[in-house]
Amino acid sequence: MDARFPYLVFACVILLLTALGVVLAKKPVYSAVSLLANSLTLAVIYLMLSAEFVAISQLIIYSGAIVVLFLFVVLLLPQGGSESGHNRGRAVAAVIGAGTMFTALTYALLRGAVGPSSAAAPIVAAKASTVLDIGRSLFGPLLIPFELTTLPMLIAIIGAVTLWRRQEKVSRE
Amino acid sequence: MIEPFKVATAAGTSAETLVLLTSAILFSIGTLGLLLRRNPMAILMSVELLLNSANLVLVLAAHKHGYVDAQSAALIVLVLGAAEAVIGLALALALFRNRASTDIDEPNEVQG
Repeated sequence: MDARFPYLVFACVILLLTALGVVLAKKPVYSAVSLLANSLTLAVIYLMLSAEFVAISQLIIYSGAIVVLFLFVVLLLPQGGSESGHNRGRAVAAVIGAGTMFTALTYALLRGAVGPSSAAAPIVAAKASTVLDIGRSLFGPLLIPFELTTLPMLIAIIGAVTLWRRQEKVSRE
Repeated sequence: MIEPFKVATAAGTSAETLVLLTSAILFSIGTLGLLLRRNPMAILMSVELLLNSANLVLVLAAHKHGYVDAQSAALIVLVLGAAEAVIGLALALALFRNRASTDIDEPNEVQG
């Protein structure tokens, strides 16, 4: 038994608790802070799975950029974006939907990954992948998907600026 | 350099099952938030949870099979998640900046 297995269990529990915090917190500020804790814990799990570069990217992109962006928008929204009381029917429907999703996912993942069907899949000895390996893969077999990510990024930048400009025009009139 | 988890052993199998289950629960929590909340911010954060859980499975697969391309795919998902957050937050701000409440069901001027 790997000595670090309890740490992995601990990290997974923290991950799920902070995710519940994101979903159930009444005020968006608390949700955003929970999302920060969630992404930090996820980075720890990535480190345990020997994905150092993804862990650092998670830290910089999620914890550094996206969560800060969320916090800024929470500050700009009216009433801090807090929401009024819950609708009971909606809550029941949401729980049923999430439960169905969980059942289906657990069945598919556990059956597909650790069931008998994966016995034929070759299990390579896990080795730590370096940035060099990831670079070779991003600029090798995954070159076209990698370059295509620039298109959504460009669209997002232009879209955000355009939406804001239109908003400015309306509020000036 | 951190020594990687040993996956081929029995302990590795249980670690793998644990991470897979965590990812499934994380995705379900994200779905719950997506269906439950009416605040655009909370909905966008739930989408981030969904992306994170998908990334977790990708990284686990990369670890298990020693296949670096899955990690690269996780990086691409990370970048697309950033783009999605930018455009989603810009939309939420544009819709709700001049309103009293932030209820996603409320705006009806975008109907066709």
